Amino acid sequence: MTAYINGTGLISPQKTADISGFLNDIVQHQADYFKCIEPDYKTYLEPLTARRLSRLVKMGITTAKICLADAGCSIPDAIITGTGLGSLEDVEGILERIHDDSVPISPTPFMLSTYNTISSQIAIQLKCHGYNSTYVHRSFSFESGLMDAMMLLEEKSAANVLVGGIDEMVPNHHALIRRLGHWKMNPVDNLQLLAYKTPGAVPGEGSGHFLLSSQNNEHSYATIRGVKTFYQPESFEESKDQILNFLASSGLNPEDIDIFLTGINADTEFDPIYFRMAQDVFPEKPLAWFKHLSGEFYTATLFALWTAANILKRQEVPPVIILKYKVQKEVRNILIYNQYRNVHHSLILVGKK
Amino acid sequence: MEELINKLKKEVIEQLNLEDITVDDIDPDAPLFGEGLGLDSIDALELIVLLEKNYGIKIEDPKDGKKIFYTIRTMAEYISAHKKA
Repeated sequence: MTAYINGTGLISPQKTADISGFLNDIVQHQADYFKCIEPDYKTYLEPLTARRLSRLVKMGITTAKICLADAGCSIPDAIITGTGLGSLEDVEGILERIHDDSVPISPTPFMLSTYNTISSQIAIQLKCHGYNSTYVHRSFSFESGLMDAMMLLEEKSAANVLVGGIDEMVPNHHALIRRLGHWKMNPVDNLQLLAYKTPGAVPGEGSGHFLLSSQNNEHSYATIRGVKTFYQPESFEESKDQILNFLASSGLNPEDIDIFLTGINADTEFDPIYFRMAQDVFPEKPLAWFKHLSGEFYTATLFALWTAANILKRQEVPPVIILKYKVQKEVRNILIYNQYRNVHHSLILVGKK
Repeated sequence: MEELINKLKKEVIEQLNLEDITVDDIDPDAPLFGEGLGLDSIDALELIVLLEKNYGIKIEDPKDGKKIFYTIRTMAEYISAHKKA
């Protein structure tokens, strides 16, 4: 089945909240992790509403509003959110209060600490009483939301679905995961990321929304032709077969892919999977990446989907994402391939509308 | 009392994250709920937490809240009368 992307909204470590630009003013980060470039929320939220919302919830509501305005849609039929970690800032706030027995628990971080806060706050803001769901499946969170949205469109339960992904990074969580060896030990320069030949990725964060519709219109960016996830493949060959079968299920073969957009994240332990896949399955096809711009997070593929949608609509390929082989012709199909530590693998096939 | 009122205004602004409100914007005799600052029921819970956290005062009967939290001045008077030494 096909779902049209009729609107997008993204807050990321790049200047993406302004939808008029497209990765033409790249932000350099020299840090342990890449924080979002946030817009002035007063443009999107009433002060009395905003005061009770944490940064992540503000980001979520804002990207939802940017997306709907871009799509020319006031209220969607359904709202779906994927998040790996939810509102960490609020969770930490409430845990600290619980840990410190002498301090009474404040209601606001308690209410906002649940994973489904973002989806529900968007619904409250929009006065949308339709289907509302949140997926929390680590690196499958956003993809699960996309699949749910596409099934709603397929069975005609909805015509317009607002689907998003969102995750934030906070100092405590960063320090804990770094101790496990999943993050790089020292600050890095995002524009020189592949020069760091060390294990571990560099975390980031982001909030992105997409209005998926069953109908093509003048706002349409691209189509999502398929989404697939697979868990902990036993071998490289199994991953390769998954990709080939996925393409075949859409009537495509590797030659039809114009850009192989990967989740390469400068982790020397797991990046070889991407490079080998590019060499074996997509030889001499443009190889692209995005995590030097977004950082690594559970729902990072939202940045890839936003990038793919913009490439297909504008037929412009930002040089900053290309690692190998320039794009020489019209871009019709982009395959997004992401894997986190060779456990959660996902594929999103995005096509020209 | 005026000193406590000013202190309380600052604490209310901080606890309720009233970003665009200054101490001078709050009339100590204006209703906190409905009109005035336009606070709601979640703010009422936050104010209960504030009294307990900053002054060690627990409100045993929720019905008293309406009188106690009517204005900044009524809050200050309640704190003065019930603050633990």
